[in-house]
Amino acid sequence: MFNHHHRWRGAALSAAAVLIAGLLAAALGACGSSENTSSAAAGTSVPLKAGESPLGQQLAGKKRGGTLTVYDHGDFEHLDPGEAYFAEDYTVLSATQRPLYSYPPNSATKLEPDVAAGPPVISAGGTTVTVHIKPHIYFSPPVNREVNSGDIAYAIERGANPNVACPYFTPYFGDLVGAEKAAGGPISGIEMPDKYTIVFHLTKPTAALLSGALSLPLSAPVPPEFAKPLDAHHPTTYGSEYVVASGPYMLKSNSKGKFLGIGYQPGKSATLVRNPNWNPHTDFRPAYLDRIDINIGGAPTVIGQQVLKGEDVVQNDNPAQSIVKEAYEHFPQQITFTPGSGTYYASLNNAHGPFTNINLRKAVWAALNRGAIVKVRGGPLVAAPMTHFLYPSVAGYEEAGGPAGPKVDYNEHPEGDMAVAQKYMKLAGYPSGKYTGGKTLQVVGATGEPEEGAAQIVNQTLQNLGFKTHLSILDKSVMYGKYCGVPAQEIDVCPNVGWGRDFADPQTVLYAPFYGPAISPSGNANWSQVNNPQINAAMEKATLVVGEPARAQAWAKIDEELVHQAVVAPEVYASLANIEGRGVAGVDELWNDGNWDYDFTSLK
Amino acid sequence: MTTGAADILVRGPLQPEPARGGAGSGPVGPLDVDAGDIAARSPLQLFWRRFRSDRVAVVSLGFIALLVVVALAAPLIVQIAGVPGPNVQNPNATDAFGSPLGPSAAHPFGVDQLGRDVFARVLYGTRVSLEVGIIGTALATLIGAVFGLLSGFYGGWVDTLLSRATDVALCFPILLLGLGISAACQVRGCAAGAIQPGVSTIIAIIALFNWTYIARIVRGQVLSLREQEFVAAARSLGASNARIVFGEILPNLTAPLIVYASLLIPLNILLEAALSYLGVGVHAPTASWGQMLAQATPIFNTAWWYMTFPGIALLLTVLAFNLLGDGLQDALNPRTVPQPH
Repeated sequence: MFNHHHRWRGAALSAAAVLIAGLLAAALGACGSSENTSSAAAGTSVPLKAGESPLGQQLAGKKRGGTLTVYDHGDFEHLDPGEAYFAEDYTVLSATQRPLYSYPPNSATKLEPDVAAGPPVISAGGTTVTVHIKPHIYFSPPVNREVNSGDIAYAIERGANPNVACPYFTPYFGDLVGAEKAAGGPISGIEMPDKYTIVFHLTKPTAALLSGALSLPLSAPVPPEFAKPLDAHHPTTYGSEYVVASGPYMLKSNSKGKFLGIGYQPGKSATLVRNPNWNPHTDFRPAYLDRIDINIGGAPTVIGQQVLKGEDVVQNDNPAQSIVKEAYEHFPQQITFTPGSGTYYASLNNAHGPFTNINLRKAVWAALNRGAIVKVRGGPLVAAPMTHFLYPSVAGYEEAGGPAGPKVDYNEHPEGDMAVAQKYMKLAGYPSGKYTGGKTLQVVGATGEPEEGAAQIVNQTLQNLGFKTHLSILDKSVMYGKYCGVPAQEIDVCPNVGWGRDFADPQTVLYAPFYGPAISPSGNANWSQVNNPQINAAMEKATLVVGEPARAQAWAKIDEELVHQAVVAPEVYASLANIEGRGVAGVDELWNDGNWDYDFTSLK
Repeated sequence: MTTGAADILVRGPLQPEPARGGAGSGPVGPLDVDAGDIAARSPLQLFWRRFRSDRVAVVSLGFIALLVVVALAAPLIVQIAGVPGPNVQNPNATDAFGSPLGPSAAHPFGVDQLGRDVFARVLYGTRVSLEVGIIGTALATLIGAVFGLLSGFYGGWVDTLLSRATDVALCFPILLLGLGISAACQVRGCAAGAIQPGVSTIIAIIALFNWTYIARIVRGQVLSLREQEFVAAARSLGASNARIVFGEILPNLTAPLIVYASLLIPLNILLEAALSYLGVGVHAPTASWGQMLAQATPIFNTAWWYMTFPGIALLLTVLAFNLLGDGLQDALNPRTVPQPH
């Protein structure tokens, strides 16, 4: 999943694109709380204070009722459960839409049945998944009727509709029988024996992966009689003009279900009100708040001040680095740090140019000062040096080496080791230890801090190794959409890319960014263009592995091989800082990058 | 007009400035020379005598000279001051949160987010500002002067054509042009790499679009000068048009050209700062004051020095060029009554 820090423009991504988008950082907190906290803060001289980690957060609300004001300097990408793929969008979707399964806010690994009545039943050697759904769940006005299995089927089928273009349909739902040719109509591998039962038939024994994917918003019910006419538009207007809710809240809408211009003013505001048809007896969400007013836009430093000195107010999205410091020092009860928020790294083009040479890649890996990037991202409270690809809280992280990572000399010194770098420069055929190949590297980074700072550190590292570079700093959407996500551009280094998992399975961390056949001509998320036959084969095999420990082991092996191939120059494991006003008992969604959970947050 | 004024003419009457403040339109007053000194002074001497009496302008000139020295000797100054170079990153110079540390003995102006020395970056930023300000202005003045001369002297369809070209160039939104070039040309450049964001492109933008005011002023002056008797005299002696334009009229435009060029320099320095602030100016990691101001904005509440020092440098530089321009205008305009500062 794409991290919300990398605000990709999902609308530009096609359905064919395999896993587009930046890192959303989903799930966190898989391992014990103390372990996660310490790993995120590894090497820190800034110890976490009590109450600053959300891993042990109290879910019991303080008060029922009231209005929460949210400041968010970025706008939403999509509010359609079939299109959304960003953490910021998920904060609204988790309050308004109910997938088959959901994570409670304090877990990133334990799925709770949401619309589903119980755990998925896997049969036929892992090729069939049966889910029963709860009765008495109702859509918001104007649909008002009870949710049935046909609504779940339609929600998933529309993911293959080019007008919806769900970015993760192919990797997670592509093994459904008939999915290959699906374009929005019925998929033969989805059956509804009765109105409360849905059965998924797969072409391969990948039921475990599909079961995990049923926590994604694509499985939230969509009423076909309401959405079908809207889905005929290109792009669909379901989720951009009209939408209905199944969760405790709904975007404020008129009697026809239109919310654009009413409950959502693009670039300005969004308003969530209670869904009058929500049935609390079917839901684990307490939904304390009466209303959530979201203000979009504004300077992060100003927003930060408004929140720290305000009452019933929170900031969504990363606070400015200076605000994190101020909050930590002066408002420690108003800030939390959530570890396991994904990875950031510099892609090195494995397919074209100098970095087809593995020793040059290893030299850059060795030379890059990951500690400096930790600093520029805000210090050890919000970042830790990255040593491999499965990050803290993802299954397989420990198996792949934990905080130290696989033991290879170019990975041993996160502060950068020029002696080791020189060794690999020489092995690469540059006896002076400096690159003399003459090519000027195209380095494309993103505007704004901390991305620009990180890009400059990577750029300087390349220059220290003798490379001539041409550093371009572009808007993030341009960086991804026109350059780093387009292999034909042959960009050598993208220093501001990264990835986070879609749900609690290590495959969701490694597959899209490093699986060769997943490389696509546009919207490509395999930014390094890694296409290693051994790694591809290992991934294909690991996809079929069943059982969490075995899957963790299998994907950890792939992780280690990616390190041995030095496919990128690693930067940091990210954590998310969250700030709230004095009057808010905020609850973070650990599974969603640590963003606020409006269903559990209450006012004091 | 006094005889003194007649003496400083080259081959015709030095034209008064078009209205700029009250200077050009003020009453004709006695110059600060007495009749006995007139014959002994060249126009340059007379100018210098008037200029040096303007202490503000002299101080400004001194400051600008200092800037030039700083720009040329930046590496040496950095070495003598014992600070790291402008692009040397040092994560140890930021605190545990990555916040830059303030002024200290090791870093007199503090450091930025990457631990780079702000003093060194401010010094090196002088290079970009002066390069853009001086070269860009020189080119713009050259183009403006040629357009104005041809337009004013020949009149007719030449004047119509060049004046309309001036109008078009005048309408061009330079900032938007800069943003467009940045968006379209940043990674691999446009026109086979010929156009790329950077100092040379900023200079080219200035040269191509900031010559218009000079052209209009020159045209107005030439329209008047070409009717003067010394021009008629030259023509009657058989002088060619080129000789009249460049040999007779152009020398009389020296004063307004110098004055307006000196006033255009600070505008162009500010334009470079604005473009760099918007991220379309010089390429990172080259130090530029505008870029530093942009990077300092989000951390101003914790790192005041990062905005303050480049801000002061930009302010003083622009102020110095503006005051110098005023001083030059006063000293070169024979109709100005010298004002005590």
